[in-house]
Amino acid sequence: MSQVKSNKKFKWALDYNQKNKTQAAELPSPPGYSQSANASYTESSKETDSNLLLIKKLWDVALGPLKQVPMNLFIMYMAGNSISIFPIMMVGMLIVRPIKALFSTQSTFKMVEGTQAAGQKFVYIIGNIVNIFLALYKCQSMGLLPTHSSDWLAFEEPITRVEYVGGGLSML
Amino acid sequence: MGVLSSNLKPSFLGLLKFLNNMNWFIVFFSLINISVCIYEDQIGKFDWRQTYVGRIKFAQFDTVSTAKKIIVATEENVLAALNLKTGQVVWRHVFETASTGNIQLLHVGEKVTTVTGSNPYLVRGWDSNTGVLIWEWSLTVQNDLTEYSQWWVQNNMLVHVLPVFGSHIEVTMYNLLTGSNRGASSMLPAIWTNERCILTAPHYTCISGPLESQLLLSIDVTSNAVKIISKPLTDYVDIQQTVSVNLRPLGGNSIIPGFVLGNDKIVFIRDNNFEKSKVQLGDKSASATVVDGANGHILVQTWMDDVTGFTLTADSVSTGKEVTDIYCSDKTLNIPKPELLAVMCTRTSREQNACRLLINAADDAVHLMQQGGRALWAREEALSRARAVEFVELPVSDTDAALESEFDQKEGSVWSAFARRLLTQYQQLQNLIRSLQGESAVQKTPSSLVRDYFNLHRIIVIVTDAGKIFGIDNLSGEILWRRYEAGLSAQSASVFTRRSARTPPHHAHLSVVATQRDTGNGFILSLNPITGELIDEGKLILNVRLLQCMMLHVPDSEKLHALVLLDEKENVLVLPSSAAPLVEDVYMYVAEKDTAKVQGYSLRFDGKGVRAQRTWAARLGGAGAARVAATATRSRLEHVRAPGRALADRSVLYKYSNPNLVLFVVERLDPLYKEEVVAVALDVVSGALAGAAAHRRARALPLAAHADNCFVYLYRSEKHRRLELATMELYEGKERWLEPGVPFSSLESNQVPIVEHQAFILPATPTAAAFTITERSLTDRHVLLGLSSGAVVELPWAYLEARRDESLPVAAPELPLPADATLNYNRTLQRVSALHAAPAGLESTSLVLVTGLDLFYTRVAPSKTFDLLKDDFDYYLITIVLSALIVATYSTKYFASRKMLKQAWK
Repeated sequence: MSQVKSNKKFKWALDYNQKNKTQAAELPSPPGYSQSANASYTESSKETDSNLLLIKKLWDVALGPLKQVPMNLFIMYMAGNSISIFPIMMVGMLIVRPIKALFSTQSTFKMVEGTQAAGQKFVYIIGNIVNIFLALYKCQSMGLLPTHSSDWLAFEEPITRVEYVGGGLSML
Repeated sequence: MGVLSSNLKPSFLGLLKFLNNMNWFIVFFSLINISVCIYEDQIGKFDWRQTYVGRIKFAQFDTVSTAKKIIVATEENVLAALNLKTGQVVWRHVFETASTGNIQLLHVGEKVTTVTGSNPYLVRGWDSNTGVLIWEWSLTVQNDLTEYSQWWVQNNMLVHVLPVFGSHIEVTMYNLLTGSNRGASSMLPAIWTNERCILTAPHYTCISGPLESQLLLSIDVTSNAVKIISKPLTDYVDIQQTVSVNLRPLGGNSIIPGFVLGNDKIVFIRDNNFEKSKVQLGDKSASATVVDGANGHILVQTWMDDVTGFTLTADSVSTGKEVTDIYCSDKTLNIPKPELLAVMCTRTSREQNACRLLINAADDAVHLMQQGGRALWAREEALSRARAVEFVELPVSDTDAALESEFDQKEGSVWSAFARRLLTQYQQLQNLIRSLQGESAVQKTPSSLVRDYFNLHRIIVIVTDAGKIFGIDNLSGEILWRRYEAGLSAQSASVFTRRSARTPPHHAHLSVVATQRDTGNGFILSLNPITGELIDEGKLILNVRLLQCMMLHVPDSEKLHALVLLDEKENVLVLPSSAAPLVEDVYMYVAEKDTAKVQGYSLRFDGKGVRAQRTWAARLGGAGAARVAATATRSRLEHVRAPGRALADRSVLYKYSNPNLVLFVVERLDPLYKEEVVAVALDVVSGALAGAAAHRRARALPLAAHADNCFVYLYRSEKHRRLELATMELYEGKERWLEPGVPFSSLESNQVPIVEHQAFILPATPTAAAFTITERSLTDRHVLLGLSSGAVVELPWAYLEARRDESLPVAAPELPLPADATLNYNRTLQRVSALHAAPAGLESTSLVLVTGLDLFYTRVAPSKTFDLLKDDFDYYLITIVLSALIVATYSTKYFASRKMLKQAWK
């Protein structure tokens, strides 16, 4: 319908949509703009800057676990040594998170290739291990680790006997 | 800041004080936590009580009150009223066990009158409906020789006859209600009295005189004028028999004074003359009495012999004709030595006799019969004196047995195994169909006596003083079988389960080792505890007296544990003798109660027979006189799983868990401190002393218990005048002495255990003590105490532990006995004499039987039922919730998928 309408030319109508073929030519560059100079400059800065940023970012990631340590210590202190649902949940989180992180190290550092990749990975792993040790220390202080002899009492052999005895008060 | 802290400080201290006070609350609440009590709707669910009165001495029918009763007085010093229809106890009074409670007379008139004690006597009147005490007065007789005094009630006067043999008879009459004396007691000259005289109220009758001219003499002690009836004995008895003529009064409250002379003559006393009865005694052991029948007086007799069995006859006194409607002769009835306690006959409209006969038997059972010998009810009063108790496991059901045998058989072809499988599955199908049909009758038959899943269903075998052995279902308290052995004396009886019912082709085997009543020789009874039938050796009477007995720890090829008997000549007898080569590393000990000497023996098989060799001996009381008040050994049923215990600092303290320890509580006289109680824990294999404790100025109670490394005993401290409960624990220390897996040997260990002692004040008088036993001893251990107040209380071992540390409740010198620690709630148990515990199949549960005048069975869970769902667990609710959740899950899944589909189309 509209197609039909537009095709029907009115006498006094102005068509704004009419494509101007002459304007298809490119606009001139603004004054003081040098295309060649600009291109060479961006080329070099992009190369160095993004690399530095990435390394910085990755160091942030790698140092993340270590930065969590004071926070974890505070949480551990606040959770207390009683064995109830919240402390247990917190300890569970403390232990599970670094382990998960350790397993996903490869994916975290996927896009990294560079001189510092090994160091970052190493620091990341060390950080997580520190966290695990913290959690284990917490477990230990809560008494959840079977480190005492009484924890293994149930596995000790029961007493058996050599001699058998009977008797009692005289029946006479 | 400083202002703030100074403001806070006092309130902080207040808070601390408050917390300190709270400590007591914590102790209090922990107490509630530990103690086990039941809810109101659980009454009678896991427990039952049976009340008994003891062997009946006197009985009379209470015909006055509307509710018909029998009033009985027993040899256990109990006065009780029994319901005439059911035999249940209506009311009961338990008097003192000592001679002060001895019932001398029972008279039932308008009110029930009793005379109890022995100089001073107590005369009491009771309301027969309620058993309420109405009046009481006491009476002291000046004469010292009151042993032969006789009592009866006549015209509302209490008559006391005190014979002084060879001299006179003192007769005193008192007003029954007030005790006022009618005057001075009258002295009737009677130089002819002797010990064999009897009272046939109101006559006092004797046989007296020189042997060739014996006289039968009788005197009416209540008449004002002294009238003596005197006849030569030869008028009544043949001369040949006069040497030792038996004289006994008629039983069962005879309404005509009379007596039985010799073996078969009955003589009445009428109009101040002897009158020979027209009827003779049917049997020389017969019990006879005269009652008022439909047509005049009738003489009722009962006896039991091998030919006719139980016999009941009745004859008219005046005519001598037999009253046929009472007669009974029944071979199936087993009433050994029947004795008429009380007989009541009423006349029916058809001139017939309607009689009620209360008959006592030698096995302490009491039967109520009606004419013609129909038994209305019977009470097994023998159970009021239980001696030895054993919990016997039930056999597995036939299908389970078949299933087990399927896995047992290692040989056989594939096809036979397949056939067996088909057969068992067919059986299972059959059982399923049968259970679907809902045959409730199956429950009643003995075939339902099969082991349940948790092994809670047992048969309790009880050996009683009367020589009667019972098999009782522990869930219902029903008597499944009974067996009377007249010759069995249960004084030192022990019961051994020599083969459990777990070995399907073989039946269970239980042996009672006791002594023969007359000779004291060994008496061994072997029976099947499930059915009560004699098996294998059956009844075996040895011709030698036994010192001690034990059960061999290893079974023979037939899975039967042999009995090892040590006789007084220190010879060893092994039953069955084929098991003699199995006797290895076996030791025995024998303690003498009155001298406190203990002798140890080593038993060895030397190729021909087993010989006992004396190895050690000990005098526990030292040089002076001493006696063993109590001994405690570890229960055969106890198996200790844990070798140590965890302390608060999570280290392990190893227990000195020597299985050969025996605790002897010895009472001795010390020249300096008077009485002294010495508790000695001896290793009875080597004779080595493991631990000991002495309590000066104390008297021992015959109560002691031992489990694992714990010992408990009780004594009365004369110094503080109170009861004390002492505990002792033995420990190895923080290191285990033996390498794991090395068996313990008493002869090779040379280390001394650490002994911990503790004593507590007990604010009650216990009469029985025991430990709870569980399957593997992992559950907490409780001490059960039967108290004289009729309660059985549970005391957690944590309160009694000799070794104190901070993990235990605060040690209080006086033990708490909270009311909710009472096992038997409000069901009072009279004269608790022993507590017997046995492990159930569940680790948490221990089965407990309390014996005494009453029987009480219950089960206890010292650490609560951690391995069992709560009793009020709502199975329906959880089923409904689960099914609703499943339905909701699937419906939401469906709806969610539909919604997803719709969204996708948009």
